[in-house]
Amino acid sequence: MKRKILIGLVIYTVVFLAAGMYVIHTIRTATLNLDRLITLHQVEILREHYLLEIKRVQSDLTLIDTPYERSFDTVVTHIMSMGKIIDACFRCHHSPRGTERLIALKRQTEKYKDALSRVLTIRANAARLAEEEDAAFRIGEELIAQVQTVIAFTTSRLAENTQKAMKDIGRTKYYLYGLLALGPLVSAVLGFVFITGLTRPVNVLLESIRKLEGGDLDHRVAGLKDEFGELAASFNVMAGSLKEQMHKMQRAEELAVVGELAAGLAHEVKNPMAGIKVAMSVLSEEPYFPPEDKAVLQKVIDEITRLEGLMKSFLNFARPQRPQLELFNVNQMLNTTLTFYLKHHAIIAGGGDKAGEGDKAGGGDKIRIRKDFQDIPLTLADPTQLQQVFLNLFLNALHAMPAGGELGIRTSLGDGGMIRIEISDTGSGIREDLIDNVFQPFFTTKPKGTGLGLAISRQLIEQHEGTIRVANRPGGGAVFTILLPVKGEGGTAA
Amino acid sequence: MFRRTIALVACALCLLLLPGCSQKEPPAPAKKPPGMKLQIGLLPEQNIFKQIERYEPLMAYLGKKTGVGCELKILSRYGNIVDNFRSSGLDGAFFGSFTYALAHAKVGVEVLARPVALDNTSTYHGLIFVRKDSRIRTARDMKGKRFAFVDKATTAGYLLPLEYFHDHGISNYREYLKEAYFAGTHEDVIYDVFNRKADIGAAKNTVFQRLAKTDPRIGKELVVLEKSPEVPENALALRGDIDESVRGRLKETLLKMDMDPDGKKVLERFGALKFIETTNQDYGVVLKYAADIHLDLASYDYKND
Repeated sequence: MKRKILIGLVIYTVVFLAAGMYVIHTIRTATLNLDRLITLHQVEILREHYLLEIKRVQSDLTLIDTPYERSFDTVVTHIMSMGKIIDACFRCHHSPRGTERLIALKRQTEKYKDALSRVLTIRANAARLAEEEDAAFRIGEELIAQVQTVIAFTTSRLAENTQKAMKDIGRTKYYLYGLLALGPLVSAVLGFVFITGLTRPVNVLLESIRKLEGGDLDHRVAGLKDEFGELAASFNVMAGSLKEQMHKMQRAEELAVVGELAAGLAHEVKNPMAGIKVAMSVLSEEPYFPPEDKAVLQKVIDEITRLEGLMKSFLNFARPQRPQLELFNVNQMLNTTLTFYLKHHAIIAGGGDKAGEGDKAGGGDKIRIRKDFQDIPLTLADPTQLQQVFLNLFLNALHAMPAGGELGIRTSLGDGGMIRIEISDTGSGIREDLIDNVFQPFFTTKPKGTGLGLAISRQLIEQHEGTIRVANRPGGGAVFTILLPVKGEGGTAA
Repeated sequence: MFRRTIALVACALCLLLLPGCSQKEPPAPAKKPPGMKLQIGLLPEQNIFKQIERYEPLMAYLGKKTGVGCELKILSRYGNIVDNFRSSGLDGAFFGSFTYALAHAKVGVEVLARPVALDNTSTYHGLIFVRKDSRIRTARDMKGKRFAFVDKATTAGYLLPLEYFHDHGISNYREYLKEAYFAGTHEDVIYDVFNRKADIGAAKNTVFQRLAKTDPRIGKELVVLEKSPEVPENALALRGDIDESVRGRLKETLLKMDMDPDGKKVLERFGALKFIETTNQDYGVVLKYAADIHLDLASYDYKND
């Protein structure tokens, strides 16, 4: 569309420039024609004037030695005035033929002036004087005839030129009228084309938006080109995305309903399950039961215990408890959790060598602990929930390093005054295609995992208005980064 | 020769004394008020219109450089120049040698400067000439022929032939010749002889040479029979009562114009190398001429018959 608009603008500019130039050209031509006509008329007047001047000099000549004789100075002035007119003729542009005629006139004028000078200065007998005067008069008459010929010729030419110029001006006038009529018409047509080109796609898009608004998420825009085509493509992507989001939301709502039902069911199942477990425990202690039956009973009890743990986790996730806020030091909490983790490592890890601070082992290999605690302020948080989060992350790290490795714990005061806690391992890391799903409920890579540990951790951190994210380390392993706001007494940000 | 020199010196002395001479005619009209243009007379040395064209740039230059406006007034006759000082208020003129002598004697004009021609001469001489094919070679051959003078107030165009006739014992040329007339300009005299309108002519060499340059037939078909001694070329002279500062400015500008680029261009167009200072002593030869033919300048009737 931008290209079309540009082309349109260029066409408009070119059309208007061309029209403007034509108007200027025609006005200039007409003006030049008129100028030329005026000049020709001026020349005509000049020639008539020249003729009159010659006749006046001739009259001066014939009056010599009569009572009406003009003074010498007057005659000289008349002759010079005549000479100046023919000189002035040379200042205008003439055709070669015209210049030739002018040169002939000038030559004859000079001859006339010579004869006149002679008449004015000679003192001789009457016969000689008469002869000189006659000679001058004859030259003057020849000059008059010559000028009259030129005037007759130029008058006819002038009439032709005037007619031609008037015809040209008339034609130019009609062209200009045509241009005046055509200009707005062309503008209207071009304007219509461009306005239609702009409004049609806009209308199509508006119509599509209305359909989308009306719930028709399957509607797609088609048939648009250029920038509007791109806009239509974006619109279609947006409509697709909207449809997908709608489905997700519907699914989430369904899941939430199912979750609520499951939580209620779990709650209802928990008490009978506890009764069954107690009953099984009592039965397993009966002396008359043979050992093989007792082993079966014990297995049932173990499974009930596992189901209880699962349901507890599920209920924690589905109905998280409100945080019981206390002012405490996160570094201290991490140390406490680490101590607990180290103490119960063997049980949690499922046996093997004991792990100790600085040189601990898990899964038969050593686990090294690297702590880097910086000074951070006290914050208001639920210590039990945070301990649950930290412990979960420690356990995940342990499971990620079955052959041993390094557990890194680092705290600092991050940007924006947030407490930054990084817990890293040197395990194999998380597959890139799965890394976005690790916080999803029931997502797990462990054979016996519930898939709720990290989901609950994120839920608890978010309850504290913090964030948690995970990334793979460049050298191997993963790092979980928690950002917690520093809060003072009363729950306000410190 | 000795007698001639004595006469020449005596004439020069006379000329120097002339301004105070009691024979001088009534003075010219009163001095012009300051700011008025000076009216400068111009003799019809050649076709009067060509003469105006030749002098106009010079006048414009003088006006521009001195701040004294100069207006040309062409005269129909040489002798008119004296009348114009009396009646038309001429303030100065470019005088021929004889007209200066006349005007100096009659109205007390004082010479300032004269031009030096392109051939580095500041004088001219008179010529008496005929057509080569006319068979006129001596004064005797002139009997019964037509003679074209320039004007009674010219050295070359009248004094020279008068002395020529005087030297050849012809006391009344009108009786001796078939016809004698005054063509008015040197140029017309030359063309009259060339075109056989007259048999003999008298004119100045500078005009003769100028015409011969543009029309080589003049030099080829005319032959010179007599030459006069050199006399000063036409010079600018002003009335005696013109303000000294104006006179000084005009003279200085004329004398220095060859050193000014604009002045040089004007001189080139005028046909001169420069202007040189001219005094009354330069006109001694004219006075001698007049004395030889017993012509009294103060009472001389310069009007053509």
